[in-house]
Amino acid sequence: MVGDEHVTMVPVPPGKRWAATVNSQSVEVLAPSNAVLLDVLRDKVGTLGVKRGCDLGTCGCCTVMIDGVPKLSCLTLAGQVEGANILTVEGLSDGAHLAPIQTCFSTHGGSQCGFCTPGFLVASQALLNNNPEPTRQEIACAIEGNLCRCTGYQQIIDAIEAAAVIHRGEAALPAAASSPHADPHPSGPGEPTMPPGHAR
Amino acid sequence: MTMGTYRQQPGASKPEVRKDGKRVAGKQVFPPPGSGGSEPTMRPRDLDFIPETVGGKEPKPAGDHIHDRDRTGTVVGKSIPLVDSNAKVTGQAWYGDDVRLPGELIGKILRSPYHYARIKSIDTSRVEALPGVIAVSTGKDAPNRFGVLPVTKDEHAMAVEKVRHVGDLVACVAAVDESTAIEALSLFDIEWEEIEPVFDPKKGLEDHDEPIHWRGKYHLSRTNVQKRVFQEFGDRSLVDSPFAASHGAWTMSGVHHGFTEPHAVVAHWDPNGRLQLYTPQQVPHYTHRALSTVLDVPMHQINVVRTFVGGGFGGKSDPFPHEMCAAILARKAGKPVRITFDREEVYWINRGRHPSHIEVKMTADTDGRISSFDIDALIDGGGFASFGHVTSYYNGVLATAPYELGSFHYTGARVWTNKPASGAMRGHGAVNTRCAVEVGLDEMAESMDVDPIDLRLANLLPPHSRTISGFRITSNGMREALERVREGSEWDTKFRQLPLGKGIGIGCGFFISGSGLPIHWDPKNFPHATVHIQVDMDGGVTVHTGAADIGQGSTTAVAQVVSEVLALPIEMIHVRSHESDTSPVDLGSYSSRVTFMNANAAIRAAIGIRDQLLKAAWEMLGYHPNVLVLNDRRIYYKHDPAVGVSYLQALHKAQADTGALIARGAYRSPPMGGVHKGAAAGLAPAYSFSAYVAEVDVDVETGQVSCTNVWAAHDCGKALNPMAVKGQIIGSCHMGLGQVLSEKMVYGRTGHLQNANLLEYKIPSVHEMPHVEAIIVESSDPEGPFGAKEAGEGPLLPILPAVVNAVYDAIGVRLRDLPLTPDIVYAGIQKHLRKLRLEEPEQMQPPRLEHGPLQPLLVARGDLHRERDRLRQRSEDTSAYVNGVLFGFDPDRPLSEQHEGWREAYEPLPEQLAELGFAGRAWLKKEQRQIQREEEEQRQLDIDESEKPKIAVEHKTPPKDRKSKRGKSQKIRREL
Ligand code: FES
Ligand code: FES
Repeated sequence: MVGDEHVTMVPVPPGKRWAATVNSQSVEVLAPSNAVLLDVLRDKVGTLGVKRGCDLGTCGCCTVMIDGVPKLSCLTLAGQVEGANILTVEGLSDGAHLAPIQTCFSTHGGSQCGFCTPGFLVASQALLNNNPEPTRQEIACAIEGNLCRCTGYQQIIDAIEAAAVIHRGEAALPAAASSPHADPHPSGPGEPTMPPGHAR
Repeated sequence: MTMGTYRQQPGASKPEVRKDGKRVAGKQVFPPPGSGGSEPTMRPRDLDFIPETVGGKEPKPAGDHIHDRDRTGTVVGKSIPLVDSNAKVTGQAWYGDDVRLPGELIGKILRSPYHYARIKSIDTSRVEALPGVIAVSTGKDAPNRFGVLPVTKDEHAMAVEKVRHVGDLVACVAAVDESTAIEALSLFDIEWEEIEPVFDPKKGLEDHDEPIHWRGKYHLSRTNVQKRVFQEFGDRSLVDSPFAASHGAWTMSGVHHGFTEPHAVVAHWDPNGRLQLYTPQQVPHYTHRALSTVLDVPMHQINVVRTFVGGGFGGKSDPFPHEMCAAILARKAGKPVRITFDREEVYWINRGRHPSHIEVKMTADTDGRISSFDIDALIDGGGFASFGHVTSYYNGVLATAPYELGSFHYTGARVWTNKPASGAMRGHGAVNTRCAVEVGLDEMAESMDVDPIDLRLANLLPPHSRTISGFRITSNGMREALERVREGSEWDTKFRQLPLGKGIGIGCGFFISGSGLPIHWDPKNFPHATVHIQVDMDGGVTVHTGAADIGQGSTTAVAQVVSEVLALPIEMIHVRSHESDTSPVDLGSYSSRVTFMNANAAIRAAIGIRDQLLKAAWEMLGYHPNVLVLNDRRIYYKHDPAVGVSYLQALHKAQADTGALIARGAYRSPPMGGVHKGAAAGLAPAYSFSAYVAEVDVDVETGQVSCTNVWAAHDCGKALNPMAVKGQIIGSCHMGLGQVLSEKMVYGRTGHLQNANLLEYKIPSVHEMPHVEAIIVESSDPEGPFGAKEAGEGPLLPILPAVVNAVYDAIGVRLRDLPLTPDIVYAGIQKHLRKLRLEEPEQMQPPRLEHGPLQPLLVARGDLHRERDRLRQRSEDTSAYVNGVLFGFDPDRPLSEQHEGWREAYEPLPEQLAELGFAGRAWLKKEQRQIQREEEEQRQLDIDESEKPKIAVEHKTPPKDRKSKRGKSQKIRREL
């Protein structure tokens, strides 16, 4: 790691204006010109749903969609994607309703500790956008860059399969199977079903 | 007005309005939406989820359970999403690094570049001079020791005198941003003096000029042995004339938990001088204690906030030095400090599974009974103790079931080496020996010409029995698990019949469900787990528990049992478990204790609330609680559901005099086990059992092994949430497969960890995962919550031996180096070819099985025992059963009347010393206090009887001492 000699670090370059569309909001932040997208998203934009598992491109937790393509944000320079359309896990739901893929992850046990989940969700949403009828093998290939230590992937693949069915319109969203009452406190039309704002 | 006047006759629910204009209780309008009773009519009870023993339709093959009466058919037994899953799928779950406090500083840690070195001086002046550095700290700021186990506190926040492995903490800084902090790390001026390091655990058994730690008078000579264990039970004379035997020496690499979230911590001293520490921890309470010790601050001035935990698996179950560092820096800086590890640092702090050298010998007699297990485990602990004290025991004692043994002999030693510390990891201590034992059984079955499954089925301990080391087994689904994987995998048509390169193998395991001893206090004084429940006017139920949800779903389990008892939708149950300020003390998530202990405590608390509600309903309806039914936000008369009150009405009635309803529940495990040294290790209120069959493909040319199918049966007592249980089983398979096929912490020749990243430390990806058929076996544990036992760790054990046995089935080569990476398998195949003088690997013959004469005998015994087990499981047979009955031991007669061989020993006899295995050699060394005493006595002897010949200190102990030892070691087990 660190020896005794003093290595002067590369001086931090001055902040530069960085603009992009993140989750359909245009954002503009000051970021060093050599900043990595992951850092900008987490530290400047504030999308903390993008997770840092390794910083080396080995875990997939930091996956975001850049102009529709899933990419590892820890291996992407912010400058490269200036002005791009970036989708993080926060952008999957419309603020009031979960996307089918999100619901399916929770109903099929695709998320245990949940740290890998944002990456998986973005990668699988990208798959579903391009391939409405993926086979299990195709699903596996789509998430091969994502590491999950908890689930053993099987329930993740189940979840993605189930979400694909919903995307194709062949099944309705599963009712939350948690209680005899699918919805104990039915909300009026247009009322959010998901608590807005931070759970914190 | 007394509510009692609302009384109605059964079946007569009219009239709706009484003469005085008041509404009849049963027909009252339900309260408005959002108040816990929004539906005009309640749903009928879900009879499929109510046990048949109390009138429902859920089958209970294992018989009655005390919690059956508390079932309401609401959520228990249903696959529901984890209660916090919405936070996780929306990215709102807040993990360690997601806690961002205003004005935060970034902390960085300076780590040792040397394996073993003394710090002669540290000059921080250049660091402090760097603009942007706010606080600097070194070891001298925090001299107090801490450690997860009270008996082995050997860690400092930062190295105080010497560093013990590369990556050991030396100093830390807090700066305004990350790059300043990193730059600051290069400005420390440190004078080092290197010391000769130790890497090989076998060398750790030898004397060293400078042992890594010094335990004073308890130190073992001058070695690096941290803990040695000797245990011997049963009749050793059975070993002498075996009918079949197996012997194997194993080398198992260290593995890491590989959780996806690197460690992170945020510390902040609030304006009142209280420390707020946010950390992803499995054991927030231990951190709490350690912080208090290290910082010299009383515990009540610290609030430990457990963030969401991005995977633990035992890797976040120690109080960590970086947590202390963050607190120290924040105190110095007066601002919040956040420290986040990069992936490499995660490996430096390690606490993964111990690299182990394990030797297993076993024998069987002519009846196909297992007459002995001899295990020797030398485990490499790295630089610190961590959970190692316990691991040293677990390596042995967790191999004493599920089989009935004639005798058991274990020697274990844990040594310090100059590597990152090993610790607890999923399947703590049991995994490696379990693998060695199960493979040994396979080998023994082969030499007896019997089917390994039948060998196991004929030698299982029944439910409600005692193992050879005195563990109390309650429910036991081992037999069912074995039978179900045998059937599911079509074992009988595949085993020893598949072509070369394809194989199938079996493995079993058992694991503790909670540890019987809360390590920080006497269980007589304080319970293992406590849960508080509070219900206020709105009807929402707030549950306070300290259980740390690390993704396994403990919060969900607690919410589920409360929801079940109170018959409320799970959305009305809110579990608060993050802060030590609000949660009752809980030991944390380890030893698979949470579901068992916390859910039990939660059930008790919920029953407390339920009783208050029923009492109120009694006053309102006039029916005794015995005839009232709780269902879906309504309490009604059993024989006429129309007569009843809504949940909210009963609640408000109950609250009339007291305000919010409060109840607490606690769990304490029953007194168990003996009093001997180490008796507490492995004691648990219940044990889970599992059996796996794995199918593999082996490429005989390259040695590449891939696992294609797994049938995994796990006895979890009762699946509170089948989806979560299956998730645990599949996840365990994933982790175990990693250990057996690809994961390995590689230490180079110079002792340096070479693969501290996720690229070279190869965790199975989605493509390496086989299809796992998760089979849930429900044996209904009499003490478990609704019958449940653990499902988080036990399922990991059998996958390793199942795969190793399957590889043997495929190629006929026994391999005993884990992981079975292609180079190991290839080398094994080549050696095999040379031995058989074959040219090509294709010419190898996979092993075949001709059933021998023992086979029908074993099958017959297995059949006989199936009935025995069924009766015992259903408590129709309540006679005592201890390990040894199979060998003619009578559990009802005192031990003195039994035949002589049965013994129990915790120290080797002098004549045994010569033949002990590697770890056993630690017993050749003497403790410092013994050495001193002997020197003292020697001096006395020299003075008193200078004319007599000298007694060699090395070989003999003074007669008096020796006699007392022998008396102790031959102590016969009495309390059987
Ligand atoms: S953080 Fe980007 S792949 Fe791990
Ligand atoms: S859910 Fe924990 S890593 Fe995937």
